[in-house]
Parts: sequence; C-alpha cells; structure tokens
Amino acid sequence: MTRRRAAAAAASLLGLAAAGFWLASAPDRPAPQPLPAHRADLANGRILFFAGSCLHCHRPADVRADRELPSGGAPFKTPVGTFFPQNLTPDPDTGLGRWSARDFLNAMTGGVSPQGRHYFPAFPYGSFRLMKTEDVLDLYAYLMNLKPVRSPERRATVPLLPVARRAVGLWKRLAFRQDPAALEASRSATWQRGAYLVTAPGHCGECHTPRNLLMIPIASRALAGGRHPAGEGRVPSLHGLLARHRYKDAADLALALEFGETYGYDKISSGGMGQIQSNLARLPGSDLQAIAEYLVSLH
Amino acid sequence: MKTKNALLLAAALALGSLALAQTHEKKMTGPAKERHEAMEQVNDAMKVLGGMAKGQRKFDPAVVKAEASTIQERLEKAATLFPPGSDEGETKARPEIWSDRPGFEKALKDAQGASRSLQAVTDEAAFRPALGALGKSCKECHDRYRMSDEH
Repeated sequence: MTRRRAAAAAASLLGLAAAGFWLASAPDRPAPQPLPAHRADLANGRILFFAGSCLHCHRPADVRADRELPSGGAPFKTPVGTFFPQNLTPDPDTGLGRWSARDFLNAMTGGVSPQGRHYFPAFPYGSFRLMKTEDVLDLYAYLMNLKPVRSPERRATVPLLPVARRAVGLWKRLAFRQDPAALEASRSATWQRGAYLVTAPGHCGECHTPRNLLMIPIASRALAGGRHPAGEGRVPSLHGLLARHRYKDAADLALALEFGETYGYDKISSGGMGQIQSNLARLPGSDLQAIAEYLVSLH
Repeated sequence: MKTKNALLLAAALALGSLALAQTHEKKMTGPAKERHEAMEQVNDAMKVLGGMAKGQRKFDPAVVKAEASTIQERLEKAATLFPPGSDEGETKARPEIWSDRPGFEKALKDAQGASRSLQAVTDEAAFRPALGALGKSCKECHDRYRMSDEH
C-alpha cells in the first residue's frame, strides 16, 4: 500500500514537473498593441540587411541559385544541432510571403515564429531584440521587396526537437533577464550609432562574447572573445584593438572592415568573418567609421 | 599484482605519449611552417599594394608588377605545400583542403590568375579593380579553407 502510494506521489510529482516545464517554457503571446505608424524606408532596410550580414546564414544551399538573395536552406551547424535558416525572400509558401509585419517583429525581437513556436537562438534574436522597432519594420519592407525565390524546406536536426524547442522558452527567461547595458549618453552621436550597429543589428556579440555553460552570453565580458560557437578554434577579443596594435586608429579599422584582404588586412577574414566583412563592406562609409569608433573605444 | 603493475605502466606510457603529442602540436614545422611563411609574404605584398590603393603611397606600375609577381610566385609555391598528412599540428588549414582537393586547387589557381592580371596593370584606373579581384580571390579561398584566427 505504501509502495503504491509512493509510486502515485512520484507520478504526480513528475506530472507537476512536466506541467511546470510546459507552462514556464510557453512562448509569450504576441503583444496586442498596434504597430507604430511608420513609413518604410527601403534604403535603411538595406543598410540593416548588410549590417546584420543576413546573407551569411540565409544564403541559398544551391550553389547555382542567386547568391545575393537570402533564400535560405544552407545548413548552419551549431553544437546543439544543424539548422536550415529560413527563406527570407517573399515567396508565399517557403519564404516570408504570408508574414505580417507583426509576425516579423515577433520573430526578430521575441524569437517566436508566426505559428507561435520558439526559434532556437541560433537565430540571434537575443541581439535583434535590441533593435529599434522602426528599423525592424524597414528591414521587413526591404525583404518583402526582394525577388521571391522558392526554396526546399528542411527540418532542423536537433535531438528531441519538440522538447528542445520548448526548453528554449526557459533559456529565454534566463538569458533575457538582464537588461541591455545602457548606452553612454556622454559619447558622440557617431559612437552611439556604432554601439547600436555592433550590439543590435550587427549581433557581433553572438560570436565575440563568451557564453556560460547554459550558452548565455556573459554580459560582463561583452565582446571579450571566446570559443568559436561552431566549435572551431577561438574568436578574438574586440577589446584593446589599438593597444594590441591590431589597428592604427579607427580609420584604419574602418578600412579593414571595408576592404579586408584586398588592402592587406589579413586578420579579418577567417572563421566566418570573411563573409561578414563582405557584407559590412556594403554599408555607407559613415556607418563603418561609427562601428570602428565604437570598437576602438573598448579598452 | 603483476597485471596491475603492467596496467599502471601502460597507462603512464599512454599519458606520457599523449603529453608528448600535445607539445609537439604546438610547434609549426615542415610544410605547415613553409606555407605559413609563403602566405605571410603574400600578406606583406598586399599591404604595400593596399597602401597604394589607400593613397598612402604613390601609384607606381613597376612596384605593382614586382609585388604582384611575388604574390604569384608564393602562391605557386604554396600549392606544393599542402601534401597529404600535413593537416596535423599547428595549422589553420581546414580539413576541406584535403577532402575537397579540386575545389581548393581551383581557388588557388583563381588567385594565381588574379595576381597575373594585376602584373599587367599600367594605369591607376585599372589598378583598383585588379587589386579588388585579387583580394576577392584571397577571401574565397580563406572562407572555405582557413580556420578562425585564434585557436
């Protein structure tokens, strides 16, 4: 009798734990308030598209496809599993064609799909959630104006996918507990712009900030370098770039970001950074200068 | 007792050779060292050409020709410095160099071709695009066949 009672108690505890997990990991309901009135600025959307190097992960899997369009599908390997990034062209069936601006905003800032499921943080919404709403809407408009491309859909290969997806909900609760560091108001407008580009759309910290055992970026060590998230070697620190004689000054770093190997800047082109540099090269010179000014200010 | 001692000895030996292998890996030797040096020389030449593109140095077709031929020569040398088995030890070479040999060789050939075209440049207007094409070929190869900088 006691044994049966113990078994019943254990079963109900397990049940409670499962229910608790399910409740605590639920995706947040999309915010009901209306979007701000906003007239889309496609040129700004294009800047954000390249600042975020969207093409780097959302490039097509097929080498014969248009490499300039983010039709998605090329495998993205992480320690958790392999993902096949979303088609970002406005194809109605395989891309963003049927997405509303609200859907896009929820994905970018909440990491929730239009079907209300958690995205894995391989999609760096931990950084994108710091973007201005207007910028997200401009990026949405830019993407919706691209040529629609149909892409094959492939499912992520993650062990225990549905449970793992739900566990992301708990991860978000932990990872997003800390508020983003406040920008230093005393700095110049250029510096502020650079800090924003690096932190939010540029999502540099996704690789350059070390993570703890739960894969949560360690805020106190922002951009201090660490293990390569793809498990291959290390990602360099972005602190002390001048003191360590990596670059002469901000202008030198801005040239490195624009030209890479072409001007003999060799340190900026491996471990995935080469592709990112090609994307950054398409930003206006003033934005590259802003990024450089912010980065060289990190001691 | 005897088996226990033998086991201990085997374990110690295994650990010892592992430690030896570890220290060995830290050193760059053989082809890895040679190709690293060749690539450093390519980078030095690119810095000279980059300085010219930045306007820090006067455009001089003779210098362009000389630096571009150095690059071509070092790249041709580098092509011989990735023999099978040289993927071990301290190197930034990715395993794809050996698993995707045709792709790697094509990428190197493209870079050699771009360095040849750059040698033929005589006027400043043609210099920048030719240098850009060479830089692009460097990147295409690094993207696919070179590991992260610090590891």
